[in-house]
Amino acid sequence: MKKKKVAAASIALVTAIAIAGCANGASTDAAAKTLVFDTTFDLKTSDPGRAFELTGQTIDKAIYETALTFDKGDLTKPVPQLTTYKLSDDQKTLTLTLTGTHTFSSGNPVTIDDIVFSYQRLQAIAGNPSFLLTNLSTNTPFTITKTSDTTLTITTDTPYPALPYILANPSLGVLDSKTLQKHGGTNTKDDASETYLNTTSAGSGPYQIESLDVKTKVVLTANPKYAGTKPAYSRVVFQNVLSPSQKTDIQGGQAQLSVGLNSQQVAGLASDTIKVLTSTSPNVGYLWLNQDPAYSGGITNNPQFTAAVRTGIDYSGVLAVAGNGAIQPGGIIPTQFLGAIKPDATNTFDLAAAKQSLAASGYSGQTLQISYPTDFTLDGVEFGTLAQKIQAQLQAVGIKVELAGLPITTLLQNFRAGKVQAGLMYWGPDFPDPSDYTTFSPGNPVGLRAGWTADQSPAVTAARKAAEAAVGDARAAAYETWQREANKAGVFIALLQAPRNYVTTGGISNVIPNAVWTVDVALIK
Amino acid sequence: MTAPATLIRRPRIAPVWRRPLAIVGILFVSFWFITMIIVPFLPLADPLAQDFTPLSPPSGTHPFGTDILGRDVLSRTLFGSRATLPFAILLVIISLILGSLVGAIAGYFGGVIDEIIMRIADLVFAFPTIVLAMVVAAALGPGITNAVIALALISWPNYARVIRSLVLSARNQEYVVAGRLLGAGPLSSLRRDILPNVASPMLVLAMLDLGSQILLLSGLSFLGLGAVPPAAEWGSMVGDGVQQFSNWWLAAFPGLAILTVVVGFNFIGDTLRDSLDPRSANAVTQVNA
Amino acid sequence: MSHSSSSQHAEPAVADALPGSARSTRTSWFARPVVRYIGIRGLVSAVLLLGVTIVTFILTNLVPVSPITAALGEQAASDPATVAKFVHDAGLDKPAIVQYFVYLGKLLHGDLGTSIQTRNPVTQDLGQAFPATAELALCVILISIILGLGLGLIAAVRKDRFSDQLIRMVSLIGISVPTFWLAAAIYFLFFFVLRWAPGSGRLSPAATPPPRVTGMYTVDSLLSGQFTTFLDAVTHLALPTLTLTLFTVGMLVRFSRTAILDVLNQDYVRAARAKGLATNRVLFGYVVRGSIAPILTIVGLAFGSLLSGTVLTEQVFAWGGLGQYAYRASTALDLPSVMGVGLLVGAIYIITNFIIDVVYGFVDPRVRIG
Repeated sequence: MKKKKVAAASIALVTAIAIAGCANGASTDAAAKTLVFDTTFDLKTSDPGRAFELTGQTIDKAIYETALTFDKGDLTKPVPQLTTYKLSDDQKTLTLTLTGTHTFSSGNPVTIDDIVFSYQRLQAIAGNPSFLLTNLSTNTPFTITKTSDTTLTITTDTPYPALPYILANPSLGVLDSKTLQKHGGTNTKDDASETYLNTTSAGSGPYQIESLDVKTKVVLTANPKYAGTKPAYSRVVFQNVLSPSQKTDIQGGQAQLSVGLNSQQVAGLASDTIKVLTSTSPNVGYLWLNQDPAYSGGITNNPQFTAAVRTGIDYSGVLAVAGNGAIQPGGIIPTQFLGAIKPDATNTFDLAAAKQSLAASGYSGQTLQISYPTDFTLDGVEFGTLAQKIQAQLQAVGIKVELAGLPITTLLQNFRAGKVQAGLMYWGPDFPDPSDYTTFSPGNPVGLRAGWTADQSPAVTAARKAAEAAVGDARAAAYETWQREANKAGVFIALLQAPRNYVTTGGISNVIPNAVWTVDVALIK
Repeated sequence: MTAPATLIRRPRIAPVWRRPLAIVGILFVSFWFITMIIVPFLPLADPLAQDFTPLSPPSGTHPFGTDILGRDVLSRTLFGSRATLPFAILLVIISLILGSLVGAIAGYFGGVIDEIIMRIADLVFAFPTIVLAMVVAAALGPGITNAVIALALISWPNYARVIRSLVLSARNQEYVVAGRLLGAGPLSSLRRDILPNVASPMLVLAMLDLGSQILLLSGLSFLGLGAVPPAAEWGSMVGDGVQQFSNWWLAAFPGLAILTVVVGFNFIGDTLRDSLDPRSANAVTQVNA
Repeated sequence: MSHSSSSQHAEPAVADALPGSARSTRTSWFARPVVRYIGIRGLVSAVLLLGVTIVTFILTNLVPVSPITAALGEQAASDPATVAKFVHDAGLDKPAIVQYFVYLGKLLHGDLGTSIQTRNPVTQDLGQAFPATAELALCVILISIILGLGLGLIAAVRKDRFSDQLIRMVSLIGISVPTFWLAAAIYFLFFFVLRWAPGSGRLSPAATPPPRVTGMYTVDSLLSGQFTTFLDAVTHLALPTLTLTLFTVGMLVRFSRTAILDVLNQDYVRAARAKGLATNRVLFGYVVRGSIAPILTIVGLAFGSLLSGTVLTEQVFAWGGLGQYAYRASTALDLPSVMGVGLLVGAIYIITNFIIDVVYGFVDPRVRIG
């Protein structure tokens, strides 16, 4: 009898605790004008001079103003923000003239000195976006000169039509130099203001930082000194959330905006209250084939083999993996930008031609090892899924394919050293101009990663030089020619641009996709 | 309990093996072993063939549905046994041999050797298993072989501890001492007199360990640090599945596969332990619940 | 259960302490057995801690990936000057042994280096992540101890009866479920389908964390009297706790059942029962007290296995604790952070077990340290 009592008492206790442990109630802490934005963070810092990740660009866009900007989603023409601009006829000098009155969150007015300080600081601290203020063809930094209290000039040694486009990048956000200098900020390599910028921020944009944790959550509040139209939401919460939870957050109304769900995840999500807006991501997923005999395994540097791979990939099948809204760019330049081309014969699926090329290449069953990043997605599409799709397609051609998934850091290290036979990677635009893509040329940085040295493919190099020298309306045609030449050489195979899904709920509107900063939260209504 | 046990000759199967736990365990484990062997001969879709409509829910033609690349989940789940069981067994054998050797040396020789070995074992215990495994796997690159290496490096101390305590208590048994007095060297003494005594508890421990090693291996694959695609492997299938919550069948079935096989090994291990003598059973319990 | 097999950690040192204590003359303070015992355990713990620093260091030096790739972006890594500056700043141009001593020296000043990923001091990152995991782990351990001991006691007392069989089966299933799958299943069921519990994270998105005292939201919100935040934190805690509790309870039930059965078979308990002492008094006066020591040891071990559980669970629930930090740091090969996590968890494990060993020495009537 006693034993039973003990047992019964234990069970009662156990149940009580279990119930207490599972206690729950609806959470009801929704501040009136808070916008919750779910995304998968790649954030490292919010210091514009150091941030160069997608999340960082979205956040910096909200905190800082830039000299020039893009109107909503239109990347074809830079428009004035802090300044107006004039590019000299030789396309070597850009003159910026301060316009209107802008005020930092500290109350200080935005001056030419602030712009000069911010640009020089970016150049000096050697952060990830520092290259933006460098002439990429000659590798010399731009010269930034204050010419009056309202004007400054940016000069470079060769014609640089991309100059005004670059200035719209949120990494070129203008900092409050007076405040920053009180907190360790300098325009030299000794700058120590990153911590300050990550806790307080020093911009003239619509928002300022309330709190920032690069791994979990960033909270912005409206900047009362902002000169433009007050944003509709006085508080924006950026949450780092894995995609399944993003979906449930949206369905449960815990978040109003999510960017990062792939097409399978948004399928069937749209309803009366949930809107799905699909745009095409400017990120180009590509496959490279190493031309260095030391790493080619005797196959990837064989033009016939390259042709077999290019025509053996069923691009529609690859796009299907990425879902509705995915498109195949004809070359490495994304479809949204000047100079983009349509797929040509070198990258159109043709199984018979592929088999023929393979036979002509003298292929005798060597293994093609395709590497891909495991901890990174192409706008929500797993590289592993793409790799498996391509593996199956190439095996149908008769090529033996092995997959090697690696953490992106490991893969990048080997890729940068030019030691990877073949692999999947993507290129996101640094600025919306085709000149950002000539790095995919023989002898240029990304070209070299695929063992594509300057002495190879002279036709591609000639076309690249012609494109870089072209001005005005001739640019588009010149970049198109360069890509067609590059396609013939076949080293880089542009596979797809994935859809980017903006999912909204809670009646929010005016979410405008932008290829550079994803979305401008200040415009959301 | 009415008649002395020695008088009853009837039961061929020991009573512990007639408990529901044991029966269920044997059923699960034999199901997966038989599947592992015969699965290539079953009338199933090729686990790698991307032939079907992607993400179709379970139906008559695809009882477990299809995945994002249009592969049959039933076929992949059954083939998954081949990517898990052999490696888990290999891993346990490696850790068993490594751990037993080290533990036996520590227990038999004692003194400084014992101290050093057991402190190293403590060190491995103190370092978080999964962090160690993640770093090793991330550094060597994913791959089931690398995952096995990573886990073997951290699994041996369990065995070392048990065998050491068993050897310690066996060392001073009369027959062992007698053997030594008759001139048996340390090695032959370990082998002839001590090994037979520790064999059965080690077997039990290995059986219980199989379950936890399968969990760790598939956990690494879940994190993308184990099996390499397109291989059908349960952990990575669950990993892919949790990306697609609305397609619940992607994660549910491989997860159930892991659950049943681990439950099977644990049920059998538990039964085996009950059939051991209490002293050995305790030694086993302390490292593997 | 002899004490040599019931405490893996205490055992060698206790064995050392015993003969010494028999000879001790009690003239010197250090010669006092209790002090000696604690001293030796402390010394062993310190050596282990040093060992953990060596292991973390060697491990991170074996990794064949240059932190340069991890730390620098696409364009920056192509620039030799940037790379050289980074290498020099991070001390990567010095020999490994020098790097180790520099590391150790900094460590003694509480400096664990700077995380490559977050660019924060690792100590600051750990300070952020640790309370999240501690809150979860303490919750799990607390519930598990009560449930585990309770169920273990029932199972032991009713050995081989139906309830025993049932409890054993459930606990075996508990340790057999893949945590990462269970976490997803629980999340799917209770949040996605039933909507009984809130989604991922530690608080609702719009909620502001309470003013930081301990970093544990439940405690801090109570301290500052924010009852809504407290409820919010508790409800977010429910699902990850449920996930991890199942495994930990399974483990504790099995250990405590064995430990209690062991004591039940001891002569002094049989004698007490034979003398006709009331069952409850025997149970709580003798059995529970007698078995508390081995169970304590297991609680220490459970802490260790809890962390591997949190790595997988935190991934699913986006908990933002040590587990997620460890996963991100390891896959990104953010070595300073990996070393930081390894060291912190190793230290917690060693210190927990040191405390348990010391307590053990006092509570277990069979370990005579005096």
